[in-house]
Amino acid sequence: MIKVDRRPFARYILIALVLCLMALSGCGAEKSPASGQMAEEAVRPSSQDQASKEQDNALREASISFFAMDTFMEIRAFGTDEALLASVEEAVEDLEKRISVTVPDSEISVLNSEGRADLSEVPARMLKRGLELCEITGGRLDLSIYPVVRAWGFTTGEHRIPQQSELSVLLEKVDYTKISLSGSEASVEEGMEIDLGSVGKGFAADLISGMLTEGGVKSALINLGGNVQTIGAKPDGSLWKIAVQDPRSAGIIGVVETEGQAVVTSGGYERYFEGEDGTVYWHIMDPETGAPARSGLISATAIGSEGMYCDALSTALFVMGEEEALSFWRERGDFEMILVTDDGRMLASAGLRGRFSAQPGSGYELQFIGEGK
Amino acid sequence: MNAKRITTMGLLTAVALIIFVIEAQIPPLVPVPGVKLGLANIITVYAMFALGPRDTFMILMVRILLGSVFAGSLMSMLFSLGGGICCFLVMLLLRRILSQDQIWICSVIGAMAHGIGQMAVTVAVYRTGQLLIYLPVLMLSGMIAGAFTGMCAQLVVKRMKSIK
Amino acid sequence: MIRTRTWIIILAALAAVLALLSFFSLTAKKEGKTVQILQDGVVIEEIDLSTVTSERSFTVEWTGGGSNIITVQPGRIRVTEADCPDRVCVDQGWLSDQAAPIVCMPHRLMIRIKDSGGPDAVSQ
Repeated sequence: MIKVDRRPFARYILIALVLCLMALSGCGAEKSPASGQMAEEAVRPSSQDQASKEQDNALREASISFFAMDTFMEIRAFGTDEALLASVEEAVEDLEKRISVTVPDSEISVLNSEGRADLSEVPARMLKRGLELCEITGGRLDLSIYPVVRAWGFTTGEHRIPQQSELSVLLEKVDYTKISLSGSEASVEEGMEIDLGSVGKGFAADLISGMLTEGGVKSALINLGGNVQTIGAKPDGSLWKIAVQDPRSAGIIGVVETEGQAVVTSGGYERYFEGEDGTVYWHIMDPETGAPARSGLISATAIGSEGMYCDALSTALFVMGEEEALSFWRERGDFEMILVTDDGRMLASAGLRGRFSAQPGSGYELQFIGEGK
Repeated sequence: MNAKRITTMGLLTAVALIIFVIEAQIPPLVPVPGVKLGLANIITVYAMFALGPRDTFMILMVRILLGSVFAGSLMSMLFSLGGGICCFLVMLLLRRILSQDQIWICSVIGAMAHGIGQMAVTVAVYRTGQLLIYLPVLMLSGMIAGAFTGMCAQLVVKRMKSIK
Repeated sequence: MIRTRTWIIILAALAAVLALLSFFSLTAKKEGKTVQILQDGVVIEEIDLSTVTSERSFTVEWTGGGSNIITVQPGRIRVTEADCPDRVCVDQGWLSDQAAPIVCMPHRLMIRIKDSGGPDAVSQ
């Protein structure tokens, strides 16, 4: 019929093509009636039973984001509405007003200038726990390091390298054991100044987490400028995937899967400046030297159930360094950690095996430490 | 432009439009977005070999514009334009290296080019590369349909020659 | 002039490659329980299919005229009615775990599985 070519080869091709076409149309014909039937049964009047809608409501996502405590805060909560989140925002703003050292009449500012202050309930609770954490970490975290941080210019952004003599004078006043708190009465020694900022986001995350849980939320992601805390697992039951920032680039070093835990990272990359000789000075101070902590670590991540604890630990572990951190982890046994060393190693505590996966191509060598403790 | 040429072009455009409108009434053979037989391509391929590129281009453009008025939408016109122009350009190149017995090959490759052009417009419209997943299917179905329409066109070219 | 036989071999090889690619692309699976409905390339709705407990239908209107009725069931979603000319979107059936999205070309509508590979947050 079609004179394509007189060779039989071409005729076979033609037959094959016709068969292909038939197969294609056969395919379509098979599917059409089935889908037509589907369409009839699926399109029902939308007067769906109210009960199922309410059930769906329990899994409804509400989210809010706002700027507070010098950082961008984002909360995603399931099974609640925006009203609860609005009250959470208020609570965080209220907390900031009471504890910020940059707010002149905050309770902590008053404590710093007057040497004593009558703290309201929440800041008192925060300071109490903060002092416990200083003790737990053996002073690697010290709430009274503030004057030293200021001397380096990290509070204003006018960075400078203080003289050793200047630091020595300031260090005399750095000692968290001299902070006393009885009931709501707080006092510090003459010339001492404290800052709760180093554990502020962690405490705020705990505060938020508590409010949401009380409000019936069983699943939420609280991200306070990289200070991450979770409530439960995701609504579908899977674990939250929390990535850890690469201290040397904009990427990530790996992902931790977690539920109901806080994941807090401290690193020299967060706030730093470069001296004239090219040396990098960061904001995490070693309370013993009054200088940026040089422990061989460039980032430390703590994972545990309490946000403030993890916040304190991430700083303390960074100051401690690899070996001390490992023995501290063994001793405590109530948290997990990921340390990144300046020679390109990534050390994850044994409990993270199976929960932490390194980002392919991040360039760090992953080792699990403290196995079979 | 003499009367005979105008008549021929008008006739071909009309036939192409009729084929296009009738094809639009046929339910899709495969449930893959963008896949269709493209029977109106018979006219394009025929014109390419019997009349030459300039006339073919005019017939193609008029068919696409009017076709989307009669049986389509602005969207389908964009897809047809993208595909049609790509197909036309490829056939323009191929027509020099193919003999009268190889017209159907021109149609096959033209149909593949049509798939690529259509996909380019789709990606631009949807602003996502995700739809590229359909490209192999689109090109394969284009090859099959293109071979079919190409053979029809080849037949027409040969038959018309004996009439003339 | 290239011989017809040579052309046929080239085209057959191409067709074989495309057939293989088509097979992989159409059967490709994608993880993720959240689907996104896009119009004009913009996400207009996100539905977590794992939270759907009962069947529900809703209509998506296109500003250029026309509409699609979309139905969700636990774990899957499809277009059940459309007034577009070809109704390919309806024929495409349920979307639950395949990588290839449902598309309604005339209404610039697309239903796809949301990428779920990324982390939920970055600790920094």
